[in-house]
Amino acid sequence: MKSVRWIFASFFVSMVGSLGLVVYYLIGESAQVEGILLGLALGGMGFGVVGWATRLMDVPTVVEEREPLESSDAAMSQMEGMVGQDAVTRRKMLLRLAGGASATLGAALAIPALSLGPRPGQSLEETKWTPGARIVDRLGNPQRPGDIPLNGIKTVFPSGFEGEADSQTVVIKIEPELLDLPEGREDWAPDGCVAFSKICTHAGCPVGLYRAEARQLLCPCHQSTFDVTTGCTPVFGPAARPLPQLPMEVDEVGFLVAMGDFPEPVGPSFWNMETE
Amino acid sequence: MTHAGRSWMFAGATALALTLQFSGGSSAQESNPLEVSKTATMTQVDAPVDGQRLFEASCSTCHGVDGQGTENGPSLEGVGEASADFQLRTGRMPLSNSTDQAVRKDPAFGDEHIQALVDYVGTFGDGPPIPEVDLESASLVSGQVLFIENCAACHGATGAGGAVGNEALAPGLSTASEVEIAEAMIVGPGQMPPFDFTEAQRNDLVNFIIYLRDEPRPGGADIGGIGPVPEGFVAWLVGLGSLIVICVFIGSHRKADDDGQDAA
Amino acid sequence: MLKWIDERLGAAHWARKGLKKVFPDHWSFLLGEIALFSFIILLLTGTYLTLFYRPDAAPVIYDGPYQPLHGREMSAAYESVLRLSYEVRAGLVMRQIHHWAALVFVASIVAHMVRVFFTGAFRKPREINWMVGVTLLVLAIGMGFTGYSLPDDLLSGTGLRIAYSAVISIPFVGPYLGFLVFGGEFPTEGIISRLFVLHVMLLPAIIIGLIVAHLAVLWRQKHTQFAGKGRAESNVVGKAFWPQQFFKSFGLMLLTGAALALLGGLVQINAVWSYGPFDASAVSAPSQPDWYVGWLEGAIRLFPAFEPTILGVTIPSMLIPAVVIPGIGFTVMALWPFIEQRVTKDRDAHHILDRPRDRPARSAIGMGGILYVTLLTIAGGNDVLALTFNVPIEAMVWFLRIGLFVIPVIGGFITYRLCTEMQESGAQPARRRRGVRLRRNAEGGFEEVSRD
Repeated sequence: MKSVRWIFASFFVSMVGSLGLVVYYLIGESAQVEGILLGLALGGMGFGVVGWATRLMDVPTVVEEREPLESSDAAMSQMEGMVGQDAVTRRKMLLRLAGGASATLGAALAIPALSLGPRPGQSLEETKWTPGARIVDRLGNPQRPGDIPLNGIKTVFPSGFEGEADSQTVVIKIEPELLDLPEGREDWAPDGCVAFSKICTHAGCPVGLYRAEARQLLCPCHQSTFDVTTGCTPVFGPAARPLPQLPMEVDEVGFLVAMGDFPEPVGPSFWNMETE
Repeated sequence: MTHAGRSWMFAGATALALTLQFSGGSSAQESNPLEVSKTATMTQVDAPVDGQRLFEASCSTCHGVDGQGTENGPSLEGVGEASADFQLRTGRMPLSNSTDQAVRKDPAFGDEHIQALVDYVGTFGDGPPIPEVDLESASLVSGQVLFIENCAACHGATGAGGAVGNEALAPGLSTASEVEIAEAMIVGPGQMPPFDFTEAQRNDLVNFIIYLRDEPRPGGADIGGIGPVPEGFVAWLVGLGSLIVICVFIGSHRKADDDGQDAA
Repeated sequence: MLKWIDERLGAAHWARKGLKKVFPDHWSFLLGEIALFSFIILLLTGTYLTLFYRPDAAPVIYDGPYQPLHGREMSAAYESVLRLSYEVRAGLVMRQIHHWAALVFVASIVAHMVRVFFTGAFRKPREINWMVGVTLLVLAIGMGFTGYSLPDDLLSGTGLRIAYSAVISIPFVGPYLGFLVFGGEFPTEGIISRLFVLHVMLLPAIIIGLIVAHLAVLWRQKHTQFAGKGRAESNVVGKAFWPQQFFKSFGLMLLTGAALALLGGLVQINAVWSYGPFDASAVSAPSQPDWYVGWLEGAIRLFPAFEPTILGVTIPSMLIPAVVIPGIGFTVMALWPFIEQRVTKDRDAHHILDRPRDRPARSAIGMGGILYVTLLTIAGGNDVLALTFNVPIEAMVWFLRIGLFVIPVIGGFITYRLCTEMQESGAQPARRRRGVRLRRNAEGGFEEVSRD
């Protein structure tokens, strides 16, 4: 009996835990205490029940015969006869029609699912950037090239669309002589400020991690790395497309403005996107 | 509460390594170069400390005699007192091997010597001074917004630090002083970009980062505070592990001897 | 009482048969039960959470006790999770138990499947139950992912975004499908309530249905057993369901609850308040899914920057790791019993389990598969490991890219050799030792007596 005293104790522990939980619920609010008390309540009873079953239940080992799963041939052929009886199989044409009607009915029942979302249209190809759109930070403050420290990075939006997911852009300022942008983009970097879509071309995460010394943008989700100086071409990781660059200039009052939308779709690739 | 103290629940090598990493006990801490400590002792007798002499002895090998920079180290023109103060107080400089990433270690110089060096580097050009930090009226809410927007991508939402590609690591933020944090934002040391926060924004950020350290953890041990990876380890090792032990216990019968049957 | 029921249902006959049902004894047969009991705990805690959660993306202003978010605009969904965690008494412990139970639920399903695979318990006549099991695993992962996404914090939003990108990467239909599933271009307001319906109604209903089917088929086909004295293909040797087996299982259920309660109380999981509300232009690092999606995350991270355009159709670099590889993987898994039948030409019914060593080829393939998934999972956490062990991410990615093709093959080969050697030597490493029996021999020395 001595060896099984713990089984009796377990049930007491459980009761203490449960009562403790009731009391504690009324007076305290620490999740740790609640967890411990619930653990005791459940665990005490659990050990008690298991101990009872494995230490105190002297039940015999039994042998059960395994009847074959498959039915007898006679039963099987009766069954087949039942399923394929004349009343069902005689009218082949009706069977086919019923099958056809089921298929069309399925299509009819599935079609309302198309209401779940709009057709993509051009929305994957376009953002809110327009020619002349002011470049503003999240709070709507317009930005001059001087507002971005050298080697600094800032998340910006088109004025009036602060926080807009598909238009999020980063502006990075680099010594102009280090820039080696693709042809035709020489004018897109006023005072060494370059702007790129912040949406990763791989899986769409915000490319928020800028390594200033290496002048590389890195996506924290899958470590796609983009070389800012060459126009954010991918240099490591799964992303295959460069981050689209926003054509940008300084307007007559000295603020950064967009010259137009991104030349390529932003974000992850899809099958029919238009690239240069 | 220290990270080590909070991580007591976490079984497994990862946890141990994480704890070491976060509490700053990383193996990357190298002993200071010999010549530096020699210089430090040498100049200790002189008072007041001569920043220029100290600079020539300890910094000029890489940064040049007038801080103009060499192929081993960048120019210090216009970096300002904020930068020198940050690098020296966090022990990042002097660096024994100029290709290593500078990491936090015990500062190589005493207070007085750092002050002298900082003053001297400040004369190299028109750089930012050491910022004032005033948390009196700093906002936690604004700090949180700024932190998630600007800092979390590298340092993590809880300031635990993170790997930022190649061998670079964004350090955990649990050990830096208030002024050091503010300096880092202005200076952008190493791979970190500089930020042009207003003084109020900077104070809010410092306030939030300090708050993160002693934030109450109502959920219990935070196992590193870096999300699902340690959670997965705990689920397998502690969760399923303990339940498998229980299964083996349930499968054992001391009373009814069924030895012949479980001889599988 | 029993008589009252019997008069109305005639229950005595079949109930007695049920209570007498024989359960062979082995600890590994209980792994599936852990999954079942975790699921019961998920239902109980989940119901409680549902009473407080608001599946609503409408913006509200937070005015609860968590200081750093005070006065912030956030979705009603996120606000309700904060309130549940900070203001509802016992809310946080319930939420944490629920999350831990989810992690352990999928872990125990995997452990159960590994047991079934290596012992050949999927062979005829149990192919149906194997396929039901694979489906349950997929649904459990789906359950986990939808649940992970409900709090609408920054981390879960990042996960959803990657899922959206995976959907739109599918050629021809991707963009349309993505817009249908999410209700427009990501991020959309409607997705939270859609995920909620999936998470609390559709998926649990299907899972409950399949669990019932899984158990019904098991009941009908009777248990498998390991070979041993008195055990044959034609019988089942063990203990009756009532009372001992019932008590054991009931105890295991309570202990599963106890382990999860302790975890839920003592170890923080998914501290949603630290991430802040979802913001499409912010991200925190490290960003990881829960462990059971880690292999998928790893595949996405490791896949090279390969994005060809063939005949005007671009194949996004998400497509192969996020859609094709999981599709093939789960299909091969589900069809494994038939694949094995075709190769071995063994179409007989089996009720005695294999020892892994007796099927070296299968064991080698299983080990290769486990290593493959493990390596992918490691890749899914590569930034955390890079920080922890101070290795460059780039080096680790290249090691894993190559290792993915090499290590499973080596591991499989070693497994094969170990199996064949153990067959020859007859070693019993897994067998419980209870000392040796010695006998004095004629010369006065001792010799070991075999226990069989």
